[in-house]
Parts: sequence; structure tokens; C-alpha cells
Amino acid sequence: MTAIAVRDLTKRFGDFVAVDRLTFDVAQGEVFGFLGSNGAGKSTTIRMLCGLLEPTSGAATVGGVDVSRDPEGVKRRIGYMSQRFSLYERLTVDQNIRFFGGIYGLARVRLEARRRFVLDMAGLHGREHMRAAELAGGWRQRLALGCAILHEPPIVFLDEPTGGVDPLSRREFWALIAQLSASGVTVLVTTHYLDEAEHCHRVAIIHDGRLAALGTTDELKGVFANRAIVEVQAANPVETMRLLDQMPEIEKTSIFGTSVHAVLKADRQDATPVLKRRLESAGMAVTSMAPVQPSLEDVFLDVVERAG
Amino acid sequence: MRRVRFLIWKELIELKEDRRLFGIVILAPIFQLFMLGYAATTDVRDVPIVVADADRSAASRDLIARFEASPNFTVVNIVTTTGDIDPYLERGRAWMALAIPAGYGGRLERGRPQTVQVVADGSDANSTNVALGYATSLVAGYAQQLAVARLPPGVVVRGGIDARVRVWFNPRLESRDFMLPGVLALLLLVITTNLSSMGIVREKELGTLEQLNVTPLGRWELVVGKLLPYALVGLVDVCLVLGVALLWFQVPLRGSVWLLFAMAAIYLLTTLGLGLFVSTISSTQQQAMMTTTFFFLMPMIYLSGFIFPIENMPAVIQPFTYLIPLRYFLVILRSIFLKGVGLDTLWPQAAALAGWGLAILALAIARSRKRSA
Amino acid sequence: MRKMTAVARKEFRQIWRDTRTLMTLLFLPAFFLLLYGYALNFDIRHVRLGVDDRDHTAESRALVSAFVNSGYFDLAATIDDPATTKRLMDRNEVRAVLVIPSGMGRAIQTARPVAVQVLLNGDNANTATTVMGYALTIIRSESARHQPAAAPAVPLVSVEPRVWYNPSLRSTLFLVPGLIAYISMITAVVSTALSIVREKERGTMEQVRMAPLDAASFVVGKTIPYFAVSLVSALGIIVVAMALFGMPMRGSWLLLLLALSLFLIGALGLGLLVSSVADTQQVAFQLAMLASFLPTLMLSGFIFPISSMPRFLQLVTYAVPARYFLIALRAIVLKGAGLDAFWVDLVALLAFAIVVLTLASVRLRRQWV
Repeated sequence: MTAIAVRDLTKRFGDFVAVDRLTFDVAQGEVFGFLGSNGAGKSTTIRMLCGLLEPTSGAATVGGVDVSRDPEGVKRRIGYMSQRFSLYERLTVDQNIRFFGGIYGLARVRLEARRRFVLDMAGLHGREHMRAAELAGGWRQRLALGCAILHEPPIVFLDEPTGGVDPLSRREFWALIAQLSASGVTVLVTTHYLDEAEHCHRVAIIHDGRLAALGTTDELKGVFANRAIVEVQAANPVETMRLLDQMPEIEKTSIFGTSVHAVLKADRQDATPVLKRRLESAGMAVTSMAPVQPSLEDVFLDVVERAG
Repeated sequence: MRRVRFLIWKELIELKEDRRLFGIVILAPIFQLFMLGYAATTDVRDVPIVVADADRSAASRDLIARFEASPNFTVVNIVTTTGDIDPYLERGRAWMALAIPAGYGGRLERGRPQTVQVVADGSDANSTNVALGYATSLVAGYAQQLAVARLPPGVVVRGGIDARVRVWFNPRLESRDFMLPGVLALLLLVITTNLSSMGIVREKELGTLEQLNVTPLGRWELVVGKLLPYALVGLVDVCLVLGVALLWFQVPLRGSVWLLFAMAAIYLLTTLGLGLFVSTISSTQQQAMMTTTFFFLMPMIYLSGFIFPIENMPAVIQPFTYLIPLRYFLVILRSIFLKGVGLDTLWPQAAALAGWGLAILALAIARSRKRSA
Repeated sequence: MRKMTAVARKEFRQIWRDTRTLMTLLFLPAFFLLLYGYALNFDIRHVRLGVDDRDHTAESRALVSAFVNSGYFDLAATIDDPATTKRLMDRNEVRAVLVIPSGMGRAIQTARPVAVQVLLNGDNANTATTVMGYALTIIRSESARHQPAAAPAVPLVSVEPRVWYNPSLRSTLFLVPGLIAYISMITAVVSTALSIVREKERGTMEQVRMAPLDAASFVVGKTIPYFAVSLVSALGIIVVAMALFGMPMRGSWLLLLLALSLFLIGALGLGLLVSSVADTQQVAFQLAMLASFLPTLMLSGFIFPISSMPRFLQLVTYAVPARYFLIALRAIVLKGAGLDAFWVDLVALLAFAIVVLTLASVRLRRQWV
């Protein structure tokens, strides 16, 4: 069952193409990640799918409703949480919930049940009378999510929901998303935190408005099928990079924290001992040098480089 | 439509929670009306006048006494030569000067006509006109009395045209009764246009507007939910300001209070619609403020007939004043207060006001789409 | 000093980039002077007169002619019955009605006194007084024409009016300085009113607080670029006034610049004070409007003479900077007066500026701690 179907979706602002012929599907109950750097076109895409922005060309259906022709129909079936956690600062937690529940037309009994659910989920019991402005980052985030799903929409759009939130809260938040998905809700999340993408069923990498890669995390890592990634711990990472870049077996290098990731060219997996010897003879003290599993960061950098 | 209740409720809570804003929109009008009610007076009283008496006779002192006795003038000083009056006028210590030439008393006794100079500071032409009028009247009346006193006994002055003046609608010619309704209208304009334009743009800036646009709420519901609370605030303001005007300043209200409120409600349609329109062309609150102030508030204060009569304006400009909703409301308001007329007389203005209100609202609503292009 | 310059430079860059605001602040004021200077005046002419002549004699027609020929009145309607009078007055179609009773002609010929009625539309009290003056003068001179004995052809004493500084009593010359003061004031206050509170709302204020910058430097630094813009804008208005409305310049340019600068700094400071006190931009706007929009128009002596106001209100006008500026401006431009005529007002402007800027700094410092 396809929840979201996108075909050649395009958005142009004058000469600038923000979203360029995006095509993908999202299945019901899937957690679908939208990965990309700032300005890649993620928010623009979400806005189009929510009926907030008119597409220039292409088509998309959300919950079976055509986004261009019936944007209001789409809005009945979705929940949306914006980047800025749009809550009413001067209203209390309770008032925010009642407000959003009210405008989605929830009857009193149902609203009460959902209210308790959201307070539970967000851990806000006892804090109902605090103003939204007084809440710390993690709670605001969960309250915003709660307000977005009060009306139990089958499809939920989350635009950079973990911005500026501490790591512990982020982890808890993703647990909530997993719960949602388990209950059959389709979740489309945009993020620029690569580690979070691991929590998604499938990930789409957006670069310059175009779909650069799409698949499960394993499928994405498949780009490194026959290219080994070697992690080098050495005394001087910058110098190490420079030395490695000159060697013919190396495709590219990058700094990863304090170590260097070197991508070997195709079918050169066995070159590792040779490379290490060369480094040492050049005077570089190498602490360790071993192949590692590609991370999504490696995938992202690779994909982006190839696309650009 | 049931959902609109929540929007209105939310808006009112937010307003109540913003103590400062709430205080301002409720209390400031009272305060302003109070102050401005006392300011609006074109009665020219106690005009400071300096006298240069070169004659120093009983006759000249008699004339000066007339000026001293008049409530319109306050004699600041009596000097001898006309040269001495310069500093008074330059420094603004006197607006006018009366110069009585040497030999005044002598010529008067011999029955020879003469003139006295009255010098006026023309830099405030409005008051000068009136003050000159007073001075001329005063001297003319004085001259009349002198002439009658010199008539030989037995000669009876007969005939002549006498003028009986009756002032309709405002017998005391109290300019306050004319200005206060205008101040009410203007205060309403400033407060409600600001509330709606800035209020909506603020939600745009904060992102909560987007959150509302993504709900299945209809465009009309969003507009009503946003503007109705402000309309309520406006009507509360009308009550408060009316209270001050009627109870404190005792401005006469000769017409129907209900008609006044009905007209005020229509007027609020135009001011709120205007604010909504401004919000659709502004992306920041700064822009909203600038646009509202420069393109709407300032022209309205000058070209609506608030202080400067429209009939005095050049023919080229007058047609444009038909575009200003405040123009109609001022006529309506002043007529209800001073003349006590009803809808049968005011219907052209009321229709124009309603027409404008609906037009502006329609335009503004058409522009506030939930989905951007 | 260096930190202040940094603040000033950043603010200047922000203004420069916001083209819409910049253009508005620079050019719109001059345009408005043009518009209002042209549109507005207090001269009362073409007063719509209704005539209810119940006499229809040569004498009554002569009286009506006297009114029409005076140049002040336009014959707008001939009235036959009182109901028409009411209708015309209600709809403001006439400002005055002359009612001549039947038998007036005969009364004049037989030297008996007679009274005519002048009904004034008191709707606009401002103009009604003047209209009354015109009407009474015309009637009095008509009366004198028929009564040579009582009033000699030339009265014993009459007034020779001399109007200084504005001989033709053109209300434009009086209005234009007022408009200059008003437009400059509003422009200045509006430009700074949101500047501080905007940063508070957006959260960029936090960033500034981190720097070791004291509140006073911050406030002054913010004033400088807006001062530059306001000064250019105000000079633009003055140029339009002189070029298009013939406003004279009889005094010293240096003094004008001095007065203008002090006035603008005070106005900008008021805006900053509002900005430092308010916590949201909406509140700032309302406060700024409250403090400047109507008060500057009505309490500065622009339209209503201050000396005619009740005492307590006169005290309030001491807090309106436009009051002082108007005195100084009129003195310099129309009277050609020297510093001795208005130095008190300049000191008042300086004091106002210092007070508001200090209050703004103090307020800000308390919020920062």
C-alpha cells in the first residue's frame, strides 16, 4: 500500500530550481528519511507534499489524494511538525493541546483521551500548566509532535524535528517515531543528522534538489560493494591524508574525527599492508590501519560528490 | 464553523497573556482621548499682545483698557516706541502688537479719522486670522461707541441691519465636540490596524501561521478567527472612549447609540481588512509597521477631513479622498453626535463605508492563501 | 568607541540591505510634504451659502450680492422652506444660511431697524467661527451703507493690520514648518522603534549580550545610522518645502541644522526607548504610535495654539519635542531670528535627547544583567 507517491515533482523559484524531478514512493507504515544538507530542497519538498506550496510541475499523491488538485483534502489526512516546533508560546501545554485538538474537530471525549495520550507520550504529566515558552527543548519537541498527531493522521511529516535538541531527547524521540510506525503510521522525516538516518526503513539522499540515492541503509552502503574503506589512525592526520592522496590505489580520503578514512579504488581491497608500509617509510607513525564498515556519512559524502 | 471558536479563544488568551499589549489597547485610548480632548480647541484666548503707546493720553489709555478687559487678549507690556516691540514678536512673547501713534488723543478730540496699527505674528496663520478678527471687531465696536457719543443730542440713530446669529448643532461652537469624534475614529484606526497587521505577520515570522495553514481549516475560518477577537477589542474601545467623551467631556450625543455601534462595527471591517491586507504584502513586522504608518495612517490623518476640511483641498485632490474609509466614518460619527440624524440621511456614507469594508476584506482574503505559489 | 562603531556599522548594513525600508525612509517623507503641503490649508473660501430671501426687494438682493461679491461665499442654494434648510444643513450641503425676513426693504427705506438671521452649520467649529466673522463683517458694512449718520464713511478709529513674516497670511507658510516637524518626527520614531525589540524577539540579542559591550554604547551605536538616514530625509523635506512651496529661509542654515539634529536625535531616542521597554514588536509599535502619532499633531502647537490649552495640558506639551522644534524652525525660517530668540528651545531639545537616550540605556542595562 503506497502512502505517498511522487512523480517528477519539481519546484522552480524564478531561475532557481529548488526541487528537480523527484520520484519515489513511500509505503504505508514506513519510516522514510529525507537526508540532505541545508538548502538541498528537503523542506521545499515537504511543503509541497503538505499542500503548503504549489508545485511547478510533476505530480504527487498523499494518502491517495492529488497534492496539486486537492491540497485541502491532503491536509485532512496528515499531521505536520515544522522545523520551529510551532507552538503558541504564551499558551500552556494544556491549552496548546486543546487548541490543536479543537481545530482538528476532535469531539470532547476523544480529545480528552488523546490529550492524556500525548501527555503520556511526551512525559508532560504534571506540567500541563506550564507555558510552552517555559519548556526545555526536549519537551517542546515532544509536545509539538503530540499536537501534530492529536487527530491520529495516517501520515505524518516531520521537518527537521530534532534540531537543537540534546542527544538523549533525540534518542527518545526516535523511539516515539518507531512506536508510531509500529502502529501503522507512515512517517516522512527530513534530517541532516546522518546517524539518525540509520533509524529509518529507507533513506533518500537529496542533493541540489535532485534525488541522489534511494534505498535501505544496507542498499545505500552497497555503493562501497567493491571499494574498501580503511580507517587510519596516525600521528598527523592532515599529513597522512596528503601522503595517501598521492598513492595510486587511493580514490579519495577524508578526515573522520581524529582519523582518516581512505576509500580504495575498485578491487584494491588487499592493498592495505602495502599502503601502511609506504606511510611508515615516509616517516609517519601509524597507530592502526584496518578496513571498516562504511557508515552513512561515507555513503553521503560519496553520493554527493558523484552527484555534484 | 465550530472550529472557529478555538481560534478566537486562542487569540483572546494570547492577548490577555500579553499584559503590556492588553493594557495598551484597552487603556491607552482612554488616556489619549482625555489628553487630546483638552488639546482640541481653536478658541483663541489670552492672545499675548504688546502695546506701543506713543501718545500716552487718556484716550490711548482708554483704548488699551478695552484690550485689557477683553478675554481674548492679555496685554503683556506697554512700551513707548514701535521699535521696542520687535523683540517681543521675535521671541514669541507676544503674538500681536498694538501701535498707537503720537497725537492719537488730539485727533480723536477733533473728530479726525485715523488708524492704529495692529501687527500680528503671521507664522501661525490660523490663530492670527482669528486674533486679527478679534482686534478689528474690538476697535470697530469701540469706534462705533465713540461716534454715537459724539452725536449732537436729539439725534436718534435709527435703522440699520442687525445680525442674529444662530449656530446649528454646536451652539457653543465648542471645537471639542467636533474633534473628539474624530479622535475616536483615529484611535480606533491606529489600534486595530496595528493589531491585525502586526499580529498576523508575527505569526508568519514565528511559523505558527504555517502550522495553521496545514490544518483543514478553511481560509474564511482562519480570517474570522484572527479578526473577530480584534473586532471585539475595537468595540470595547468604542465603549470606553464613548464613556469618556460623554461622561467627562459631556460631548452631546444626539443620535442613536445603536446606530453608532453598528457604524463602528462596519468601520472596524475596513480597519481590520486594511491590517489584513498589509499583512499579505509584508514579510516582517518591521515592513508591516512601515507600510501601515506611511501608506495608510499618515495619509488618513491628513486627507480624511479629520482636521483639514476636504472642501478646502484643491479640486485635483478631492476625488482621492473618496478612497479613504475614514472620511465617511468621520461624517457619520460627527453627524450622529452633533446632528442626531439617522440612517435616512447617512445612508450614502454608510453604504460607501460598507462597500469599502467589503472590498478591502475581499481583496485581503483573496491574497491570504493557505498555499503559496 | 570601537564597539560602538561596530554596532553602528552592522545596523547601517542592515538598513542598507532592506531596500524597501530605506527607500521609504528617504523619499516618502519628501513626497508627503509635497502632497500635504499642496492639499492642506486653513483658508476658508467658497463657503457654501444657502439664501432664504423672503423679501425679494432691491435691498434684500443687494444684501445677498454683498455676500456673494465678498469672495468668501458661493451661492449654493436658494431656499423656499425651512424643511429644505434642515435637509441642506444635515447633509452639509451648506455651511451657512442667510434668512432675510419679508419687509426688510420697507424697513430700511423707512429707517426702522430690522434683523436678518444667519444660521451657521456648527458641524465644523473651526471653520464656523471664521465664517461667522465674515458674515458679521459683511452685514455690518451693508448696515453702515444704509446708515450714514451713525457710522461716518470713515470710522473714527480703524485698524490697519500688518502681518509680519507671512504678509499674505498664507496658511501654507504656517503649515509647512508644522508638516516638516511632524513628518520628520514620525519617520524617526518609526525607524528605531522596532530596532531593539526585534533583536529581542528573534533571539539575536543574546549574541550581543555575550560581547563585553555596555548598554550605552549599544544604544548610541544604533542611533547613528538612523540619524544619518533621518537627516538626509528631513533635508529632503526642507528642500521640497523651499523649492515647491516658497518657504523662505531668512535665518542661518547652521542654526537650522543644529536644531534639526537635536530634534532628530531626540525623536530617534524616543523610538529606542520604546524599543527597550517593549518586549514584543507589536507592543513597540503601539507605544510608538501612542507617543508620537496624535500627540505630535495636536500637542505641539502645530494646529492648536498651546496657550489656549488648559494649564495641566500645557505642562504635558513640555514633553513633546516637536513643540520646541516648531518654535525654533519658525523663528529661523520665517522670522530670521538669531540664537537669542530660541536658545531655550534648543536646550530643551538637547535635554530631551539626553533623557530618552539615558533612559533607554538604563532600561537595557537592567535587562542585560
